[in-house]
Amino acid sequence: MTTSTASEPEDQAAKPATRRRPKPQGGGFPAALPWLAPALLLILVVVVFPAGYMIYNSMRHIGKNAVDDGWAEPTRKGPDWGVFSNFGHIFTDPNLPRILLNSLVWVVVVVVFTVVISLVLAQFLSKPFPGRRLVRMAVVVPWAASVVMTTTVFYYAMDPNYGTLNHLLEQLHLVGPDGFGFTKSPVSALGSAMAIAVFVSLPFTIYTLLAGIQSVPADTIEAAKMDGAGRLRTYFSVVLPQLRNSLAVAVLINMINVFNNLPILQIMTKDLPGYESDTLMTYIFKTMQFDKRIDWASALSVLNFAIVALIVLIYVRVVKPLKEV
Amino acid sequence: MKKTWRTGALAVAAIGALALSSCGFSGDKGGDSASGSGGGSGESVALTMLIPTYSDGTKGLWEKTISAFEAKNPNIKITLEVQSWENIEGVLSNKIQSKQAPDIYNGGAISSFAEAGQLAKAEEITSPETLANFTDSFSENEKVAGTQYGLPLIASDRALFYNKALMKEAGVTDVPKTWDELLEASKKIKDKTGNPGYGMPLGKEEAQAEAAMWILGAGGSLGDEQNITIENDQTKDAFAQMKKMMDAGVTQSNPGSTQRTPMMSGFVQGKMGFVYALPPTAADIKKQNPKLDYGIAQPATKDGKPVTLGVADRLASFSQDQAKKDAVKKFMDFFFADDQYLAFVKGENFLPTTKSGATAMGSDEALKPFIDLLPSSKFYPTTNPAWSDTDAAFKALLGKLEKSSAEDIAKEIQAKADAAS
Amino acid sequence: MAFLAVEDRAPKSRVVGRMVIGLLVAIVFLVPYLVMFLGSVKTRDEILSYDPSYLPKDGWQWDNYSAMWDTPETPLPYNLISTIVIALAATVLVLLVAVPAAYYTARFRFPGRLAFMGLVILTQMLQPAILTTGLVREMLLLDIGDTWLAMILINAAFNLAFATWMMHSFFAAVPKEVDEAAQLDGAGKFRTLFTVNLPLVWPGIVTAVIFTFVSAWNEFAASLVILTTAENQPLSVALTKFVGQYNTSWQFVFAISIVSIIPVVILFFFIEKRLVGGLAAGAVK
Repeated sequence: MTTSTASEPEDQAAKPATRRRPKPQGGGFPAALPWLAPALLLILVVVVFPAGYMIYNSMRHIGKNAVDDGWAEPTRKGPDWGVFSNFGHIFTDPNLPRILLNSLVWVVVVVVFTVVISLVLAQFLSKPFPGRRLVRMAVVVPWAASVVMTTTVFYYAMDPNYGTLNHLLEQLHLVGPDGFGFTKSPVSALGSAMAIAVFVSLPFTIYTLLAGIQSVPADTIEAAKMDGAGRLRTYFSVVLPQLRNSLAVAVLINMINVFNNLPILQIMTKDLPGYESDTLMTYIFKTMQFDKRIDWASALSVLNFAIVALIVLIYVRVVKPLKEV
Repeated sequence: MKKTWRTGALAVAAIGALALSSCGFSGDKGGDSASGSGGGSGESVALTMLIPTYSDGTKGLWEKTISAFEAKNPNIKITLEVQSWENIEGVLSNKIQSKQAPDIYNGGAISSFAEAGQLAKAEEITSPETLANFTDSFSENEKVAGTQYGLPLIASDRALFYNKALMKEAGVTDVPKTWDELLEASKKIKDKTGNPGYGMPLGKEEAQAEAAMWILGAGGSLGDEQNITIENDQTKDAFAQMKKMMDAGVTQSNPGSTQRTPMMSGFVQGKMGFVYALPPTAADIKKQNPKLDYGIAQPATKDGKPVTLGVADRLASFSQDQAKKDAVKKFMDFFFADDQYLAFVKGENFLPTTKSGATAMGSDEALKPFIDLLPSSKFYPTTNPAWSDTDAAFKALLGKLEKSSAEDIAKEIQAKADAAS
Repeated sequence: MAFLAVEDRAPKSRVVGRMVIGLLVAIVFLVPYLVMFLGSVKTRDEILSYDPSYLPKDGWQWDNYSAMWDTPETPLPYNLISTIVIALAATVLVLLVAVPAAYYTARFRFPGRLAFMGLVILTQMLQPAILTTGLVREMLLLDIGDTWLAMILINAAFNLAFATWMMHSFFAAVPKEVDEAAQLDGAGKFRTLFTVNLPLVWPGIVTAVIFTFVSAWNEFAASLVILTTAENQPLSVALTKFVGQYNTSWQFVFAISIVSIIPVVILFFFIEKRLVGGLAAGAVK
């Protein structure tokens, strides 16, 4: 190991040769700007306006005719919160607690299962064996297919009358001749939806971890083996810590995407009456589709965004995904 | 060297893609509209048209009409946008928000737009002759506070489809006319053939229609332009009878979460005794399972008196300026004339809403049972602004009838309707 | 057969074991798409048959795959081109935008670094699906409503978070010595990034490219409302045109879905080998 030769004049301090060193200082934000400007520009041009518009809409009154009639007014049942009356309406919605609970369970179950299975499969797919490339390509397929279509196929296969999965279960005498109504009760529909969500999240997570595993220097693993560490111990003491960065990013993106996922639940629970199986995201779309209220849907979207942001904030604080290995 | 080449290639690809992408395919494929030769009365007008897909022929039918119309009116250019029923209302509300509301819109409920003054009046977008040619009851149904906005496009009503083979196998000789007979016959079919006797789809797709069939059958109604009345004795009666059917086990399994479309294919395939269905189902049977031995009869009601649910979809216009309204008027007059209109109605297998159309199609053997039922049809109170919430409440809540009591469901739906009005 | 090559010296029994497990994994991941494929070669009536069969009974309807290109519902060849252009351009744009940002934030500390990374992750949290109203208005204001460019910008903007964060974590793992050596040779920051760093982070680039391409390829909510001309719409929107009020042409929906998976798998086929390499290949001595 050499001591660092500073790339920038500001960073003169030669540090001991540990893996954790402060970064060289750039020339402040102005020096960084040329590197960040393209990304910033794209975000400013495309994202800021619609995001602001969503927040604005959440404080307006927009009736079923999609016309903006001015600032929000209290609804019949909701409290008078001035321009925030749409929020008053959604916070006093009796369905809300159940929906928030569903969202939480949904995101935790799906992400935990996805990550655990992905860790195992990524490790497996990093091992050389004949045909590995073909297996890797098979794994990428659920990612390549649109989530809507994957879910549709599951929904179709699970249909009690013409679904082939139910047909198979009937032939195996696991269910009666009428089939099993996977999508016909809240518990089984939510459970099936979670399984599908894990299934479609796996490829992305596996590949992120696989990419991470590729950057674990082979000699580090060799060294651990030389020290006589068992395979499990090598994994937990050498490989997993090296995966930290990829894992942190994979979990972060998964949390956001799973929380914001719409099509899986929308398709799998579309047969069910009531709101027992809704998450915040599907509820937003029911508000738009059935109640036809853009203002309430916008308020719910703002709430949705606030919750995701909060989760991410806590996650970033606890996990520190930006920290160096 | 290789790497530099690659970076270069990447940059070229990027620039190329961006240059390409600024265009996209042009929406105006039909040539320039300025080439109006003879009949051009003034400058050219561009209209937008947003329509839903009824069947896999819908887009083709409209395209044919539009190109025939544009050939006659070279200064009017119509841009057609087709969406599925599931997406069309979301797309519409986005367009309205962005001030891009369509000049011609084919939709379900429009009363909230009419109330807010967003729609052109029917008399502004049709000639008096065309307007007078609509069957009176349909025109009446399009009036919001006394003014007609929508132009009834197609109509349908529901009739009882019965599977003769299953009835025979179960020893049912007469087509049921009353609730009790229907329950009895369904029970026999279920017991003797193992197939569901009656198909009851209470899933979100069209729960309101199934509910309406039973409520009307109990002598009730869904309400009128002023009031939505769900929580009353007739509704509770109807819901109780539906529960009775479910409890007797004569329906398909999970009626509370059964969607109409997939269930209907069960009837088409001969796996169900009775269902309420629309004219297009008869066309489906002809196409998919012509061997099916079935019949069409009046709906079974509490006392046996025929009554059914009629539905009409409509065309409306969000046009504001006069030139566009005039162009829309030309189009409507062109479309609702018998030659164009009948081709469309027949193509979609629905019933005509015009007087001359009804006369022309009255002899159609396949549609006769439905045309006969039209006089006893009652409609959704679509002109009541609270209806769309009520409709949503039916869709969201009716499935719970499987497990909750008739009173509770009626009360919940009424509460949603009241909250809206 | 290059893919049958074995690179290490594991005992034979273990290699066979891996092949068996690999086969099982592949089957699990492919079965739903096998169902989809079999549906795509059935007739519509057979797909909805109450007496289901695994394989087509009424003959294999291969002509579904030719008929779908020429239906009244949607101009599918145009839809395919639109999808390809939008997804490719969005992916290139994301790389152009995310790589410099990720490199700089991973290499240098500066005020606003955390804020920048936070802003980037916000774009991932806001999905086009809940912003459609604003997006439509915005694109009309920019006068690019109903164009590919609008969808390229939207897809790039809402997908740059993963690429930036992922690349960030990879650049951060490249030892500083690599940069320092390059800079001793007199390379500027850009050359250090492109010639020295990029080859070391291929696995990250590959993952970012697939992620962005796939998201753009399958984007639906914004395309639905922004692209009004049928020719401009991507496959995801085109599919919905086969969904009628009371009947759906499932055979076409399935066939188009199968076809739309293929380009992504081809893309993957070409860049998969880049997953190996980088640091693991021992570039750092």
